[in-house]
Amino acid sequence: MAAASPPRQRRIYRLPEGHEFRTVTEQVAAIPLHYPQRLRWWLGFIGSSLLLGLLIVSAAYLFSEGIGVWGNTIPVNWGIAISNTVWFIGIGHAGTFISALLLLTQQHWRNSLNRFAEAMTLLAATCAASYPLFHLGRPFFFYWVVPYPNTMALWPQFRSPLVWDFFAFATYITVSLIFWYIGLVPDLAAVRDRATRRLPQVLFGIFALGWRGSAVHWERWRRAYLLVAVVALPLVVSVHSGVSLLFAVGQIPGWHTTVFPPYFVLGAVFSGFAVVIMIAITLRHAFRLYDLVTRRHLELLGLWLLATGWMTAYGYLADAFMAWYSGDSFERGTLLDRLAGPFWPIYWGAVICNFVPLQALWFPRPRRSSFVLFVIAFLVTVGMWFERYMLVISGLFRDFLPSSWGGYVPTFWDWGIFFGLIGFFLFFFFLFVRFLPAVSMFEIKEAVWEEEHDT
Amino acid sequence: MTGRPEREIAALRAQLQGERGPRLWRSLEEIAESPAFARVLGAEFGGFALPEAGRRDVLRAMAASILLAGLPGCGKGPPDAVLPRVADPADDPPPDRPRQYATAVTFEGFARPVLATTYAGRPVKLEGNPDHPASRGATDAFTQAAVLELYDPDRSQSPTLLGKESGWDQAVQAMVTARRDWLRNGGEGVRLLVEPTTSPTFRRQIEALRQQLPQLRLHAFEPVGKERREAAARLAFGRPLALRYALEHAAVVVSLEDDLLGPGPAQVDHALGWSARRRGGHDAGAEAIRLHVAESTPTLTGAMADTRRIVPSARIPALVAVLAAALGRDGAPAAPELSADERGFVSSWASELRAHRGEALLAVGAHQPPEVQALALRVNAQLGQLGRTLLASEPVVWPGAEAAGTLQELVADMAAGRVQALVVLGANPAYTAPGDLDFTAALQKVPWRLHAGLHRDETAGFCHWHLPLAHPLESWSDARTVDGTATILQPTVRPLFGGRSVHEVVALLAGDPWARDREIVRATWRDRLDDDAWRAALRQGFVPGTAAAPVGDLAPSPAPIGLPPAGGDRGLEVVIRPDPSIWDGRFANCAWLQELPKPLTKLTWDNVLLVSPALAAERGLATGDVARITLGDRELRGPVWVQPGQAAHTVTAHLGYGRKRIGRVGQGIGYDAYAFRASTKPWLGTGAEIAATGDRHELATTQPHHRMDEYRPVRLVAPGKALEARPEEENQASLYPDWDYPEIAWAMVIDLDLCIGCNACVLACQAENNVPSVGKHEIGMGREMHWLRVDAYHDGDPLDPSFYFQPVPCMHCEKAPCEVGCPVNAAVHTPDGLNAQVYNRCVGTRTCSSYCPYKVRRFNWFEYAKPAEPIVAAHYNPEVTVRARGVMEKCTYCIQRIARARIDAALEDRPLKGSDVITACAAVCPTTAIRFGDRNDGASEVARAQKSPRHYGLLEELGVRPRTTYLARIADQGEKGEG
Amino acid sequence: MTPELYGLMAEFDHPTGLVAAAEAAREEGYRALDAYTPIPVGDLGPLLGDPGSRLPVLTFIGGALGAAGGLFMQWYADVIDYTINIGGRPLASWPAFVLPAFELGVLGAVGFAVSGMLIANRLPRLHHPVFAVDRFRLASEDRFFLCIRADDPRFDRKDTRAFLEHQGAKHVHEVPAC
Repeated sequence: MAAASPPRQRRIYRLPEGHEFRTVTEQVAAIPLHYPQRLRWWLGFIGSSLLLGLLIVSAAYLFSEGIGVWGNTIPVNWGIAISNTVWFIGIGHAGTFISALLLLTQQHWRNSLNRFAEAMTLLAATCAASYPLFHLGRPFFFYWVVPYPNTMALWPQFRSPLVWDFFAFATYITVSLIFWYIGLVPDLAAVRDRATRRLPQVLFGIFALGWRGSAVHWERWRRAYLLVAVVALPLVVSVHSGVSLLFAVGQIPGWHTTVFPPYFVLGAVFSGFAVVIMIAITLRHAFRLYDLVTRRHLELLGLWLLATGWMTAYGYLADAFMAWYSGDSFERGTLLDRLAGPFWPIYWGAVICNFVPLQALWFPRPRRSSFVLFVIAFLVTVGMWFERYMLVISGLFRDFLPSSWGGYVPTFWDWGIFFGLIGFFLFFFFLFVRFLPAVSMFEIKEAVWEEEHDT
Repeated sequence: MTGRPEREIAALRAQLQGERGPRLWRSLEEIAESPAFARVLGAEFGGFALPEAGRRDVLRAMAASILLAGLPGCGKGPPDAVLPRVADPADDPPPDRPRQYATAVTFEGFARPVLATTYAGRPVKLEGNPDHPASRGATDAFTQAAVLELYDPDRSQSPTLLGKESGWDQAVQAMVTARRDWLRNGGEGVRLLVEPTTSPTFRRQIEALRQQLPQLRLHAFEPVGKERREAAARLAFGRPLALRYALEHAAVVVSLEDDLLGPGPAQVDHALGWSARRRGGHDAGAEAIRLHVAESTPTLTGAMADTRRIVPSARIPALVAVLAAALGRDGAPAAPELSADERGFVSSWASELRAHRGEALLAVGAHQPPEVQALALRVNAQLGQLGRTLLASEPVVWPGAEAAGTLQELVADMAAGRVQALVVLGANPAYTAPGDLDFTAALQKVPWRLHAGLHRDETAGFCHWHLPLAHPLESWSDARTVDGTATILQPTVRPLFGGRSVHEVVALLAGDPWARDREIVRATWRDRLDDDAWRAALRQGFVPGTAAAPVGDLAPSPAPIGLPPAGGDRGLEVVIRPDPSIWDGRFANCAWLQELPKPLTKLTWDNVLLVSPALAAERGLATGDVARITLGDRELRGPVWVQPGQAAHTVTAHLGYGRKRIGRVGQGIGYDAYAFRASTKPWLGTGAEIAATGDRHELATTQPHHRMDEYRPVRLVAPGKALEARPEEENQASLYPDWDYPEIAWAMVIDLDLCIGCNACVLACQAENNVPSVGKHEIGMGREMHWLRVDAYHDGDPLDPSFYFQPVPCMHCEKAPCEVGCPVNAAVHTPDGLNAQVYNRCVGTRTCSSYCPYKVRRFNWFEYAKPAEPIVAAHYNPEVTVRARGVMEKCTYCIQRIARARIDAALEDRPLKGSDVITACAAVCPTTAIRFGDRNDGASEVARAQKSPRHYGLLEELGVRPRTTYLARIADQGEKGEG
Repeated sequence: MTPELYGLMAEFDHPTGLVAAAEAAREEGYRALDAYTPIPVGDLGPLLGDPGSRLPVLTFIGGALGAAGGLFMQWYADVIDYTINIGGRPLASWPAFVLPAFELGVLGAVGFAVSGMLIANRLPRLHHPVFAVDRFRLASEDRFFLCIRADDPRFDRKDTRAFLEHQGAKHVHEVPAC
């Protein structure tokens, strides 16, 4: 794959002549070693800890009382627990996408983003994977979904999309972790070598695995890294397709459609890019990484958001069109519930948040403005939440027989788990930026070096 | 198998005689190895196999337990002298098998003949008595709920004096002293308030009591009752009569607000007759029964009617008068003026009645004024329907007006201080007395007051003494069905809460505190039944030949009948009806009935004011708004329900709610319509006004949407026609090869043309399958647990719609989407085609329910099955798993019954037949609308039904191949209404 | 051969210098070579030794094993070990088996690739002689090192040092053996 010659591109990094490498290391390694932004960090960290506390309380209450404390009903026996699973895992996908696809296509600018993007992937995927556990009627038996030799002489039911998703999630989290970690090793070594105090030296030393940058190691490392990237790409697609099949397999109007897998995958990458943008902008300003995460990065991210946004929009159109074109009265009924029925605020909320502000990104100035970009990305994140909610709930609340129609209103404890998990995400993300190199040093150096040679 | 297990055991026991110590154990060992013992085990445990390892020890232990200890013990067991219902009296069912006792529970004094299934002395399920002419296996919902009523922990548990716990000894003491005063002046000032009953024993006892106390006066009061019907009989024929309809002989029925098919003592009787006739119409040629209804508020009868006319309740007298004038010869009052529309259908009905004289029936609601009903009776007599569609017999209910005074008289006497002692047996007038009587105020003027009842209810609260009565399932008694056939009630369990049967209490009044109910009842029947006949009666559940003697040669008294003055037609009319689920309030503390969705609204845990869409629009009312009805100085506040098909200016209020004192379940919900009721016009108030109060009230319904939209779950066919040919292949097309079900393929077919939406199946299922009640809040969230629901739809103009019912159990799809969704193999398919749910494997992902197109699956969101008090758990059917929290559940086609039948077949080693099994819902259905059996057996009812031109599957276009299918409702679409 | 020496390490401040030196060393006939760089330098690896060409094959094997194992497990579970009618579907519902099989394939591929890389690199190995050189910590920052091990037959303290300095190394460090 390395055969393809790197595409010519405008220079991204403008670093002090002759000291490029040192500056990179200093700026990045400085963060874990002697932490610059203590006060702000503590504020954010405490805030997220409180949310994490909410998660613990909500989970305890949920497990002691039963799923009944949520708003779920028959027919809407899947609530925001499931729609949030889709939302979280979708966000995660952008990380792998940036690391893997852009690596394979030699988009070197991705080198300043992939590290924290992958951290985001890990955390989002963990949140997504934990949601179905909270949602189980008998969570203490979750492991019955796993094929293991057992005294009941029973197996999971492999035709069930839930089992598919178990395999998909488990694989995805494992692979993301490995990908993230082997990408991290050389930087851990760098921090180890910068460290002056004993404890960091030991800890980073251990986790750096004794990496010493041997050219031969580098060679094998790069091949392994590329190979994992090659496999990770289809993995992303398979995972979210699996998630979408959880719905498409059911004969429920509004679910039972073949457009779901691409529709879900594209939406996932879309929402993921939005979150990456928010994180990138935050880190950039929090740690003044203006030379490493440059305006050019933001611009490129903006373009990606625009592109994936339009692909998602296609999903909306195809979904609606097929519902109408099928001529099936139930499909049309569900479509109507979404466009003009009880779900119109959610549906149009999703459409507006996702696609209307997005169009500003056709123009360079908003693309370059951190503020505008951040706002758009935030709206997209919200919009995609609406979309997931709309897709899951509006299929269920009125399926076939008018007699079994019902409603759904999330309770405090639904929200408790949701915001609690967001707290979980932030909590560990704060720890990540505090204690690990949040930006990939050696990959930026590599990019810088290659730029010098190209241009 | 040679010889029956008991004999073999006896024989084996003989071998042990005199053995002691080691020798005993050695001989036990020999026995354990003996073929005889193997046979015993075979008989006990069916296909019984032991691993070779430790086989001897196990067998020896079993021999010890069986031969020394005897077969598994029977626990507390039923009282002595009760007789289970078995084919061969000599052959008592083995203790591990359920026993069935043929007995009855009572409703408004009438017997509901049942077979009570008991496990180890615990009654858990009531089936209709198939041998009984008035049941034929069917019961209504109330009867099904009697089991839960029996175990109600809120039932009165001991006598109380001034509200404080006391004992029976003190109570007896008090009675003895009280009786001393009474005897001094022959019972002067002593009053007895009873509910009308059909019990010969009760009547015998009271009459005996009156011998002792000549001055004692008897009063009878039934809050719903039929006293107006009795009065009508006297008016029409000059004598008291028991009147009942024989719908099986009717070709045309015109019902003016007579809810024939609706809840009530005669529901099963009518449903049997109507369905027999209606089913006849399904076979080409035979003439179906035609049912024409005019009513102000929709009823089950109206829903099943061929033509339904909406008229104010106050217009019924006029219609009857016109019909009488058109049909009768003499004695009809001057026919009042009718609207063109009314004249139209009345004349068409008149001609139909005339055309079918002898096999027609003109029925008028028992709540209509006696004169109006009398007119109708006379018309029927003149059309020669007496003894054919209208059966007249000697009164079944006692005491009638001759024997007893009314409640009004009692209140008057109490108010005037003429009452020294009042004994209330069973009745609860402090709650059920019409508001304008102010019963309680009068009651407090009585110096000595005693109440006996199942609960410490409102009346108990106003009495000095309260005595707990035993439940019909706990006591000996006797009662008669609507046709008069007598049943001996035998207890299925000893009194749980130390109550005494009403007969023992009456004996107490009569100065015989030690009489036991069995002797009392036996005494009543001694001269009629010798011991063998008595035993036979107990076993079969009724006394043959006790049907009330029909009264022939009834000459309609020529005396002209004048119509009551028609109420002013300005303002609204308020019609008062018993609640379809908890009737007059006597079932208010039964969670099953509180949670039983009312047939048309599917409302639970509340009563509402039914208003028509027109009135709602006019007064700006919406379902859930709290409205105030004012009528003269009386006022009633309750939540409004907009009911399509309601007469424009009629408001319907339901009795039974707003109870102040009964128990944790039924207390303080709904409004009390009794307080609003007028003693003179208990059923209809005219000139009322309604206005919104601005408040809202949360209502919990199991079906928020009743309108049939584009998709029509209930299919209709015009009479004599078939459903348009269904694209069979397309529906059944599948990518997958078919599974075959070689032995038995269970299937269910539900005939929507026979289903009257009576809910009996819903409760039968709940009782059989340990389905928990979840309470109003959970229902409001959409978390009802009923495995079988009866969907109610209406269609067409909301002001005058048609109504349809559709029972929906699990469809047991052959290509079940739920099973594909389950990640842990908890939802699987059995070889006989059941869609099974393995509770202890379920982890609660609820995927199955999400994928279910029919949404028939139910989830245990909380620990619903945990009973409020341990005693309540006693009603659980031991053959059905009680589901834990977080587990999905649903209709199983009563798999426990299938399993039981399979074991029995194995023991008798014969193949299992489809006819060996009947589900709880199919067994209870009074119209046999639900049919269950083996689809592979071409002779079975389901197989034949599946060939019917009316046969279709719900949502069959999804290709899931439902095993539960339907027969379309027969109705003339389009020209709806034209008679 | 001086046992107390691991090798000599030349320090360059630019990759190009390092690469030139490495090529020269190969021409001189040195074989026991290694280079240490803060970033992967494209053509160095092949030049100095194992091109790691076995990794792709390894990855493929891992993937194949995973996928095949996954398919077999599902087929065995549903067709041999626990045969039951689920939703009227065939026992061997191949289309349904694809996704878990694929995921297991991915798992196998990644597992083999990464563990293969670590094993071939003899990692983790927390201690190594080169760490003894003080300035070696710059190898992870912006310095480029070429190390000629003492066990090279052509190695000679003086000549080799001279050779390295001739290649334009900033410093030449002695790497003590341990």
